[in-house]
Amino acid sequence: MSTPVSPFSYLSTLWVQLTGTWCNLQCVHCINASGPKNPWLKSLDPKTVKRSIREAETFGVKEIYFTGGEPFLHEDILDLLAFALQAAPTTILTNGTMINGTVADALAALASQTPYSFEIRVSIDDIDAEQNDRIRGKGAWAKALKAIQLLHARGLLPILTATEPVHQSLSEESGLYTRFRNFLLSLGIDKPRVKIIPIFPIGRMAVVGAPLLTEEVLQGFDFSLLQCSETRVVADGGIYSCPILAGLAEARLSEESLQDSFKPCRLYHPACVTCYHTGMTCKNF
Amino acid sequence: MQAIKEYRRIAVFGGIYNNALALEAMLEDVYKREVEAVFCLGDMGGFGPHPDRVFPLLKAAGVLAIQGNYDESLALGKGDCGCGYTDPRDNFFARVSYEYTFQNTSLNNKAWLGRLPKQRRIRLGPLQVSMCHGSPRTINEFLWESSTPNGLVQKFLRHGGTDVLLCTHTGIKWQRRLPEGKHLVNVGVIGRPENDGQTNVWYTILTAGDDLQVEFVPVHYDHERLALEMEQEGLPPEFIETIRTGWWTTCMEILPAKERRRGKY
Repeated sequence: MSTPVSPFSYLSTLWVQLTGTWCNLQCVHCINASGPKNPWLKSLDPKTVKRSIREAETFGVKEIYFTGGEPFLHEDILDLLAFALQAAPTTILTNGTMINGTVADALAALASQTPYSFEIRVSIDDIDAEQNDRIRGKGAWAKALKAIQLLHARGLLPILTATEPVHQSLSEESGLYTRFRNFLLSLGIDKPRVKIIPIFPIGRMAVVGAPLLTEEVLQGFDFSLLQCSETRVVADGGIYSCPILAGLAEARLSEESLQDSFKPCRLYHPACVTCYHTGMTCKNF
Repeated sequence: MQAIKEYRRIAVFGGIYNNALALEAMLEDVYKREVEAVFCLGDMGGFGPHPDRVFPLLKAAGVLAIQGNYDESLALGKGDCGCGYTDPRDNFFARVSYEYTFQNTSLNNKAWLGRLPKQRRIRLGPLQVSMCHGSPRTINEFLWESSTPNGLVQKFLRHGGTDVLLCTHTGIKWQRRLPEGKHLVNVGVIGRPENDGQTNVWYTILTAGDDLQVEFVPVHYDHERLALEMEQEGLPPEFIETIRTGWWTTCMEILPAKERRRGKY
């Protein structure tokens, strides 16, 4: 049985896997098993990041995303965000624990200096501190919440991002979205923004023997619904097909050049099944 | 191949969203402004009351229309509007809006929507002008001012071999002038106000000259009558609030931070 492939349409989104799997937290559901010790995927140097952004700009990239690990651990993060924001709308995905008043001020300054949208996604997995910290580590909830409030106070409208523990489809009935929305409103955050993402069978949630996509299942499927049809990721070691699989040898499409990565990619991983079922996109919208 | 028609001065609008009252007011305004043609960039339905009232007005005025994602969905009998919301609250309201419009649009009008072209091309004086609903590559792509980098606009213009790109879909007008006389104009919508606390809606007049002249024109219409009609049709109070106040209350997920910040919710 051959592995199905997803065609490449055009480059809409560039992801920068900035800090590899280096993170100050060690969440139980982390897609790439990030943590503070011995990251298996290294951080990127600023030269590589800027080269990829410049190249992406020549191909009309629409959005740039920074992720990790925890991207605020990178010493050049503010400079790199400023660079990206001159090229295209930019989003950073963070656990929020490193955003204090000084960092929030710097982010507000970046937002005011760009014509493009600057989005900050802060991860929280439960409105209850104890439940959240069971997943994300002790003290994570309070720090992330503080970050959301600091950003809100500066008009930055952070997007609270929560992981829903389902594999097949994002459930409206679970009420997770409404709980978070009401929670933010109760804190006086009058423009609440919430994004729910599913659990992926990868990283710390890898499932042995999890199902894979087949060509039979994908008969007549609209591949434009898969983010790998218009997304590429720069991470240590080269250019990869999607942010979930960044750093994995089988998802690597080129060594350095974005253009060389503009080719069909193999839907070889159980995580591809989650995207197929949920219509999952790592993008904000 | 059909020859590309040349104009000097045109009116362009998008997003009627069943708002026949605003359409009527806009067309009356247009007649006073000596334009050679009126173009609509799609999304006739959604949000407002009595979808079928829009079509006779468009036909009588000879409006040259293209398809929006809403029109495509209605014509093909799809299950949703094709905006692609992921937020459950936005999805709920989008479903209410689409089901009402689907049930109240006649088969003849759905078929008419199905015959509309997806894009158009004209000349405006010396300028090549391309019209689309969302973007040249995707009917439901949102081109907000803050989410559309110059590199992307230049790519669209280069690939299309055009000088001016016209779009709508987002519900908020904007324009950008690029080097070498190139332009992108999001012409706005006449179906609902643009989240600025004002009840009027907007359309656009384009005039050929040494450089393209872009004029955004406000349209004031009987929005209170529209609100009452929406109430009589049992449409959601959240939609009616938008008509009465000028603030968006639903489908907020699609707004980038910069545009969201300007609104009330």
